[in-house]
Amino acid sequence: MTLPDTSAIYDLGYRGYDGPRLGRRAAVWALFVASWRAAWGLGRSGRAKIVPWGVLGFASLPAVIQSAVNATAGPIAARASDITYDNYLWAVSILVFIFLAAQAPELLGGDQRHRVLALYFAHALERVDYAIAKLGAMVVSLLMLTIAPLLILFLGLTFASTDLAAGFRDQFGKLPQILVTGAVYAFLFSAVGMAIAAFTPRRAYATGAIVAVFLVGTGLQALLRRAGGSIGDWPVLLDVNAVAEGVRHSLFGGNANGPVSLVTIPNSGYFAAFAAVVIVGYVVYFWRYQRIQA
Amino acid sequence: MSLIAARGLTHRYPGNITALDALTLDVEPGIIGLVGANGAGKSTFLKILLGLITPTSGEASVLGLDVRRNGTQIRALVGYLPEHDCLPPDVSATEFVTHMGRMSGLPASGARERAADVLRHCGLYEERYRPISGYSTGMKQRVKLAQALVHDPKLLLLDEPTNGLDPAGRDEMLELIHRTGAEFGIATVVASHLLGEIERVCTFLLAIDAGRLLRAAPLATFTERTGTLAVEVEDGADALAERLTVAGFTAHVEPPRTVLVDCPDERPYDVVRDAVADLGLALVRLEQRRHRLEDLFSDEAVDDAA
Repeated sequence: MTLPDTSAIYDLGYRGYDGPRLGRRAAVWALFVASWRAAWGLGRSGRAKIVPWGVLGFASLPAVIQSAVNATAGPIAARASDITYDNYLWAVSILVFIFLAAQAPELLGGDQRHRVLALYFAHALERVDYAIAKLGAMVVSLLMLTIAPLLILFLGLTFASTDLAAGFRDQFGKLPQILVTGAVYAFLFSAVGMAIAAFTPRRAYATGAIVAVFLVGTGLQALLRRAGGSIGDWPVLLDVNAVAEGVRHSLFGGNANGPVSLVTIPNSGYFAAFAAVVIVGYVVYFWRYQRIQA
Repeated sequence: MSLIAARGLTHRYPGNITALDALTLDVEPGIIGLVGANGAGKSTFLKILLGLITPTSGEASVLGLDVRRNGTQIRALVGYLPEHDCLPPDVSATEFVTHMGRMSGLPASGARERAADVLRHCGLYEERYRPISGYSTGMKQRVKLAQALVHDPKLLLLDEPTNGLDPAGRDEMLELIHRTGAEFGIATVVASHLLGEIERVCTFLLAIDAGRLLRAAPLATFTERTGTLAVEVEDGADALAERLTVAGFTAHVEPPRTVLVDCPDERPYDVVRDAVADLGLALVRLEQRRHRLEDLFSDEAVDDAA
């Protein structure tokens, strides 16, 4: 290909645009899709794909292995397995958390750091639109991460059955648990991660703060419970993971995992903590984007 | 309908800092220079026009749309080049400008076509596929202009578009702005603290100082009032100044050897020539002084505006 001589740059002239203008809603949708792609490193360098796809791969690994074993050893292996719908997300929640700590700052920090935010706000979309698109991208990404492995497990168990129709009927009842539990993790984690990441243009700070909230919560609740006293088992609610597991256990039963199996607090405690974190996190997040100096 | 109208537009930042003070103006389409020293309120004014800042009091409208109520509509019709850096380093100019086109509501295919068009218009070729982090300041300014143009705006608001550019880069950017505004008919507001630059591209000048409007007039009237002829001679500047004063001109010596003559029209040129010849002086330089911002803000200029 021959490049035009630079002296001819301007002779090509400027053309107007008479095509369709789809307006604000289309802009929000486009930003949502672009942000979702950014969260998964799509259209970026290979390095940007390592964390999201690595996390998804590791999170799915137990389900894939289980399915492979089922396929060869049949239903007996499936029934004997330790991997269940009840403990799966609890076991891989650390991976979901890594995704959040890595990708929430990725979605929000760059636009603040490089002041692209000023351009977004100077376009046809409003501050709240920007916040919705970014949050939506994170929630959908987390839903993929929490639901995909369990769907693999679902398919693996379904096809492990000798009678496919019966196997499907068997497993079908578990679909609500798969979807709802995934959503519980997605909303809870996104509320914490996005509210924190919205406050700093510095990626390392945001990641560090998200890690701190999870680690401090986990450690503190164990410490406070051991100290005992009048607060009893309530400190378990400081642990974000335990809140998600508590909600799951309250809704769907089965064996409780982690600290939830050690404490006795009413189910409503988990629901209240879940609602409080999600509402406060989202309110803080949207408030930040109303006030942020672009 | 005027392009931009303001009535008593006032904005105070927290801490009682007045950025704009009762600005009243009407501007017709064209290339409008918005000139003022740093901190004069230029950026604040542009942000109010975009509906990004709500003014403390007063009214303003852009393309007939009220800045308080129709911010979203205004932003859909206006292209904005901010003063500061605003480009993500890890994407290419093509991707970025396409994305910004979509942020203005253009469909994917339309945005891609427009991005290619405006990047070419702004003089970016094969480098537009490389990540922006590797661009020179000049190329970045072009990308910033391209993203402001991608949705074919009715009005361009350019905040210090030549910031950080070397002289050649400035010339190219000004030429680009001139072509965009004059030949393609996109109304443009260029904010700058450099009058010498801005006067090369605009047809109309707004001068603001400390948030107050000093003057709003076609460029020509500014030139007349600030015209100064600088005469540099090897020796005898005093004698020359005296001679010119006697001849009825306002002239004074700028040490060491330059005489400044007020030059409202072409008459001084002949008189200077004759005076220099009569006195037998060695003429080093005879030039029309670049108008400086300070000239606009001299007492005389302020009195005229009042």
